[in-house]
Amino acid sequence: MLQAIGAAARLSRTGLSRSLPAFSTSSRLSAEDPASRKEAPIIDNESVFATPEEKKEKMTQVVAITVPTKVDLSPITGVPEEHVKYRRVRIYQPPKNAMQSGTNNIQHWEMEFDTRQRWENPLMGWTSTGDPLSNLKIQFKNPEEAIEHCEKNGWVWFLDVPKIEKDFKPKSYGVNFAWNRRTRVSTK
Amino acid sequence: MLRQPLSRALGLSPSRVAPLTARKFAEQVQAQPDNVELFIDDQPVSVPPGTTVLQAAAQIGVEIPRFCYHERLAVAGNCRMCLVEVEKSPKPIAACAMPVMKGMRVKTNSDLTRRAREGVMEFLLVNHPLDCPICDQGGECDLQDQSMAFGSDKSRFTDIHFSGKRAVEDKDVGPLIKTIMTRCIHCTRCIRFASEVAGVDDFGTTGRGTEMQVGTYVEKMFLSELSGNIIDLCPVGALTSKPYSFAARPWETRRIDSVDVLDPLGSNIVVATRTNEVLRILPRTNEEINEEWLSDKSRFACDGLKRQRLVTPMIADSRGNLTPVDWEEAVVAAASALRDCPPDKLLAVAGELADAESLVALKDLLNRLGSEKVCTEQYFPLEGAGTDLRSSYVLNTKIANVEDADFVLLIGTNVRFEAPLLNARIRKAFIHKETDIASIGPKVDLTYEYIHVGDSASIVKDFATGSSSHEALKRLESAKRPVVIIGADQLKSAEGPALLAYTQELALRLQDKLADKEWKVLNVLQRTASQVAALDIGYKPGVGKHLQDGPKVVFLLGADAGVVTRESLPKDCVVIYQGHHGDVGAAIADIVLPGAAYTEKRGTYVNAEGRAQQTLPAVTPPGRAREDWKIIRALSEVCGARLPYDSLDEVRDRLGELSPALVCYGEVQNNNYFAQARQLAQSLQKPVSGKLDVQLKQLEDFFMTDAISRASPTMAKCVQAVIKQKQSPY
Repeated sequence: MLQAIGAAARLSRTGLSRSLPAFSTSSRLSAEDPASRKEAPIIDNESVFATPEEKKEKMTQVVAITVPTKVDLSPITGVPEEHVKYRRVRIYQPPKNAMQSGTNNIQHWEMEFDTRQRWENPLMGWTSTGDPLSNLKIQFKNPEEAIEHCEKNGWVWFLDVPKIEKDFKPKSYGVNFAWNRRTRVSTK
Repeated sequence: MLRQPLSRALGLSPSRVAPLTARKFAEQVQAQPDNVELFIDDQPVSVPPGTTVLQAAAQIGVEIPRFCYHERLAVAGNCRMCLVEVEKSPKPIAACAMPVMKGMRVKTNSDLTRRAREGVMEFLLVNHPLDCPICDQGGECDLQDQSMAFGSDKSRFTDIHFSGKRAVEDKDVGPLIKTIMTRCIHCTRCIRFASEVAGVDDFGTTGRGTEMQVGTYVEKMFLSELSGNIIDLCPVGALTSKPYSFAARPWETRRIDSVDVLDPLGSNIVVATRTNEVLRILPRTNEEINEEWLSDKSRFACDGLKRQRLVTPMIADSRGNLTPVDWEEAVVAAASALRDCPPDKLLAVAGELADAESLVALKDLLNRLGSEKVCTEQYFPLEGAGTDLRSSYVLNTKIANVEDADFVLLIGTNVRFEAPLLNARIRKAFIHKETDIASIGPKVDLTYEYIHVGDSASIVKDFATGSSSHEALKRLESAKRPVVIIGADQLKSAEGPALLAYTQELALRLQDKLADKEWKVLNVLQRTASQVAALDIGYKPGVGKHLQDGPKVVFLLGADAGVVTRESLPKDCVVIYQGHHGDVGAAIADIVLPGAAYTEKRGTYVNAEGRAQQTLPAVTPPGRAREDWKIIRALSEVCGARLPYDSLDEVRDRLGELSPALVCYGEVQNNNYFAQARQLAQSLQKPVSGKLDVQLKQLEDFFMTDAISRASPTMAKCVQAVIKQKQSPY
C-alpha cells in the first residue's frame, strides 16, 4: 500500500515538474485569480497513476485540433477566378518512364492543371507561358489527400487511375530450353 | 537515383505493400503450404515456388538493379548486374534467374553484393564509351543511373597501350532506329523482344567475348510494326530513335499522358512536348490495352502533326482555289450554307479521327436542322440487329483476355497491321499458353504459325452451321475459351450482313456450350478510332445510299478516307470540311474550318473494345485552329439552331445522356443481348460465295493509313525502306 502511494506521488511529481498543461496546476493558478476559485483543482485519479507514455498519449489527444467543416479557400487565396472556375486538375500517378526500368519517384500521386499555350521565347529559345499555374505540380501520398486539397481550393478535379495491376506470374529461366514448348529460344 | 531498398519499401503506398502490422502478422502465421518463404534483407516474403529471387524482392518493394532482365521478356541472365548474396552460398547468385528456395536468406545490400555490382559495372564501363554528353539516352539511361548508384567512384581503366576501347561498327536497321553499337552492353533485350514479341527473328549475336556483336548478321532492316519498342527496351544508348535524335533532353520536355488514336485499340501514350511542339510519343503502361508496347505508327507518326496542317479557315474563291479568310467569314458562309440547305439534302460524314464530343455536337446540330443523315465513312451492316446492340460491333472478349484464349479464329482480318498490339497479345498467348490460331482469309504473315483454313467466305458458313469437317472447327468446338475475331472490313460488301450473321451464329453456338459463362467469344475488330463512339452516338455507318440522293451540302468532320469524292457529288454541292490536316477531305472542300488534332484537345475516344478514354491537350492547335466541338457550337449559333452546351462538361453530360459508357473513362463494360442479336441475324444467313480479302497485307501498307500518318515524313521513309528491303537479297 505504501509502495503504491509512493509511486503515485512520484508520478504526480514528474507530471508537475514537466508542467504539462493538462496536469500542471501551478501555471494555471498563476494565470487566474486564485480568489475566484472555491476549491483546489481536481486532479483525476487516472492521470495520477498514468505512466509517462500514457500521459504523452493523452496529451497528443488533447492537443490535436479537429477542423469540423469543409473549408473553401478559393475566396481568400487570391487566385483569379478564371483559374479556379475554368481550370481542371488531373490527379494521377506519374507513369513509369518507358525508357528506363527503375520505379523510383513514381510511387506517389500528383495533381496538375490542364496545359495552356506555351511558346518559344525568341530571346533565348526557352519556353514561355502566360499561365501562372503551368508549373504547379504537387505531390501527395494518396489520391484522397489530393482530392481534399483540390476541393479546399475550389478546383475542379478528375482522377486518373492507372491500369497497372498485373497478375503475378513466376518467371523461369528453364523455359528457354523447354524441348516441347514454344518458349524455347531460337536466337541468342 | 540512389536506391535504398529498405526505406523505399517502407515508404511505399499501402496498396503495394502490406502495412507493417500485417507483415508482423504474416511472420507468425504459417505460410500457405504451396508457398515458399524466404527472407530478403531479413524481411520475410512468401511466394509461389518457381518465383525468382528478383521477383520475390520486388514483392516487398526491394528493387534489385538489372540490365538484361525485363519482366515482359524471357530471362536471359547474362548481364550479372542482379547478383545478390545468399547466406551459406559461396558465390553471389543472379537474382533474375535463380528460383527461390525455402528459408533462403538474401542480402541485397551487403558488402559482397555491393562489391559484385561494382565489379560488374566496372566491366561494363571498360567497354562503354564515355559519350554521355552527346548520347540521346543521357538523362534517362539505366547505365548512367546505375553507375552512379552502384559503380565505383574511381576508374582503373588507364589504357597504357593506347589500344582504345572496344569499337563496333554501327548497323543500319531502318529509318526508325539509330544504332550506335559501341554503346551496346549485350543485354540482348532487343534480340529477345524481336524473337518473342515482334516475332521477327532477325536480331542475334555473333562472335564471343570482346568480339561479340548484336546485329542482323547481314545488313537488313528490322521489318516489324513494333520495332520502336526496342528503343525503349535498350538500357543504354545503343538503340535510339532516329527521328528524335539530338532533338531534346528528357528533362527539358514536358510529358502529358494521353491516348493514341491512330489504331482502334486506343493505346495509352505519353506525349513529350517542348515549346508547343510534339517531340516524341512514348508508350504508357496500361495492362488492359497495350501493356507497355506501342506500334510504330502511333509512336513515330507524330511528326505528321506539324505538317500539312490547316491553320486558318479557308473559302474557295471564284476559280475554286482555297483562300484564307477570317473565322467570322468562314463560319457565316458555312452557317448560311447549312441553313439554306433543304434538310433532306444535308449530309454529315465523320472521319476516323473524330472525337466523341465533336461527333455528338455535329449530330445534334444536324438533327436540329432537320436532317437525320449523319454517317461514318466505315460501313457496317444495318440489317438484323445492326448497330442497335453494342455487342455486335465491339471486341467483346476484351484485349487483355485474348491472352487467356486457347483457340483463336480470325476471319478476314490481318490483325498484325490492323491492331498490332492485339496481335502481340495473340502472339503472347501462342508462345506462353500454347494457344492455336486459325485464319479464314488471305495468307498473310501474322508472325506466328496458324492454320490457314482458306479464303472463301463459304467456309464461315460451313463453320457456323457445323457442316465443315475441318480440323480448325473441331479444335474450336473443343476449346474451353475460344475467340472469334472478324475484321470490320469484310462487312462492307454485299455479303457483309450474311458474314456477320454467320460469325454471330458460330460465336454464340460456341459460347452457349462453354463452362465459363463469363467468357465472350464474338469480336468485331473495327478499323478506326472513332467508329465505336460514332455508332454508340447513333451515326449511320457508311455513306453509300446518302450520296446517291444528291446532297446539296456535305459536312465532312475529318473525313479523309476518300469515301466522299467530288465525282460522287452533284456539281453545285457545297462541301464543308472540318479537320486538322489538308488531306483528301480538304482538297474537295469549298469551306475549310481548321480543327485540332488528338494531341491538342481534350477529347473522348472509344476503342475497339468499347472503352472510353480521353486525350489530354499537350500543345495548342496551330494558327487559328480551334477545338472541334467549339467550332460546331459556334456554327450552331449562327445557323439559328443553338446547341444547349457551352462547356466541355456540358457536352460530356450530353454524351452521358446518350450512353453512360461514353463518359466512364478508362473502364470497359460488359455487353449483353448476344442471343437477341443472334436471333435477329438468323434470317440473314444467306449463301455466301465471295473471297475474303484484307486491305493491309504487307508492312508497307501499314505505315500510312490516315491523315496524320500520310503527312508524316518518317512514315514515308518507312514505306520506302520496306520497299527497298524487299529488293535486297536478304
